[in-house]
Amino acid sequence: MAVKTVLPFGPQHPVLPEPIQLRITLEDESIGQVLPALGYVHRGIEKAGEKNDYPLNVFLVERICGICSATHGLAYCLAIEKLLGIEPPPRANYLRVVWAELHRLHSHLLWLGLLADAFGFESLFMQIWRIRETVMDVLEQTAGNRVIISVCSIGGVRRDLSEQQIEQTMNALADCERQLKAILPAILEDYTVKKRTVGKGVLPTEKAIRLGVVGPTLRASGVAQDLRMTGYAAYGELGFEPVVEQAGDCYARAVVRARECFQTIDLIRRALERLPEGDIQTKPRGNPNGKAIVRVEAPRGELMYFVVGNGTKNLERMRVRTPTLANAPALLEMLPGAEFADVPVITLSIDPCISCTER
Amino acid sequence: MPKMLATVVDNLVSRPATRPHPYQRREAFVRARGRIIFDISRCVFCGACALRCPAGAIRVNRAERELVFMPFQCIVCGACVEGCRRGCAQIIPQYHSPAYSKPEEYYRAPLPVREDDQL
Repeated sequence: MAVKTVLPFGPQHPVLPEPIQLRITLEDESIGQVLPALGYVHRGIEKAGEKNDYPLNVFLVERICGICSATHGLAYCLAIEKLLGIEPPPRANYLRVVWAELHRLHSHLLWLGLLADAFGFESLFMQIWRIRETVMDVLEQTAGNRVIISVCSIGGVRRDLSEQQIEQTMNALADCERQLKAILPAILEDYTVKKRTVGKGVLPTEKAIRLGVVGPTLRASGVAQDLRMTGYAAYGELGFEPVVEQAGDCYARAVVRARECFQTIDLIRRALERLPEGDIQTKPRGNPNGKAIVRVEAPRGELMYFVVGNGTKNLERMRVRTPTLANAPALLEMLPGAEFADVPVITLSIDPCISCTER
Repeated sequence: MPKMLATVVDNLVSRPATRPHPYQRREAFVRARGRIIFDISRCVFCGACALRCPAGAIRVNRAERELVFMPFQCIVCGACVEGCRRGCAQIIPQYHSPAYSKPEEYYRAPLPVREDDQL
């Protein structure tokens, strides 16, 4: 007879970089019910955003998430620009794409490394993070910081790229692509890795749509949805096809992110080649008044900003909806029926970002 | 196996990917945002930097001609540098070294001396 045990998975667990608790009801080795417990890293950032002057919030929202900070800054700036009725210059739009995509690249590489770490493939984890260092160096060279780059500002970007920096970035991207091509067979064709990922945590297309899943998790379930298709910033001019996989398991999610790495490198190259000349900043005038919703594609999926301005320097309300909030219900659907040893890999496969979700 | 052999040879002859950090330091990138310094001789104590600082790391006292900077509260975003019209706030690529305490930095400028005062 099966024995029922309730096991707390987290909030501190070697595989979880951030604190979330999953209370797992086990029947022998297989998982029955899963209950999540959130709230360990709530920092009250939304409220703090109402106290700050609106231009200072750009630095605040970048600190919501350490990995997709550029996307948070971009989304906030787009929302405020909508309220102020200003349009950033074309060069600023292209530079925004470059930095947002560099962030996506390092986020996906970070995730691929963590996936390797989740099933105990330490050397692969280190190899992938070594490649990631190339991207981090590019970010530091061009934007001044490794992670929280603070390049977006309301009305444009704060830094420009020189010819020399564009060349350096191109070289670093070529280097990154070469290393990635050498290492990827170890992730995607290895027998052991496939054994741990293929057929684990399957999320069928209908279920993914019903649960409102976003980002790479949705695209791995066969839905071609990517907010970059809406053409915000300069994405509309760069040409873009979302990466889609059909299987909906952990392996498909790894393949989507691996393929997106190459797609991102291509996008950065195209943006740098077509970089228009001109100004990088439109001066914002006045205070925001009204309501605006902006949706952008963060590395983990759809990121939504809803801001309400009341004609003063402070915002009436700033609401953020992060991709992990949409993906967490899918995780609770994937886990039941799986084996306990697969919990780390399945949990990681949605790329959970808890500090984003709790803010 | 031959595929693996290439990797083995490559790893044997290539340099290590890491560096022995405290003994060998990486040179900072030219545009890196290391830390903020103030050239107080240029300062007019207008307070534009303190207004723009998202972390509240700068206090300016105009009457006393004094600027207080808290380097460990500073997030090195560079907003003060952009706001400063006199080139007083500057950003340098060298990072602040770790410390046991978080001292504030005081910058004081002497009162301006008018020409007729010197007579």
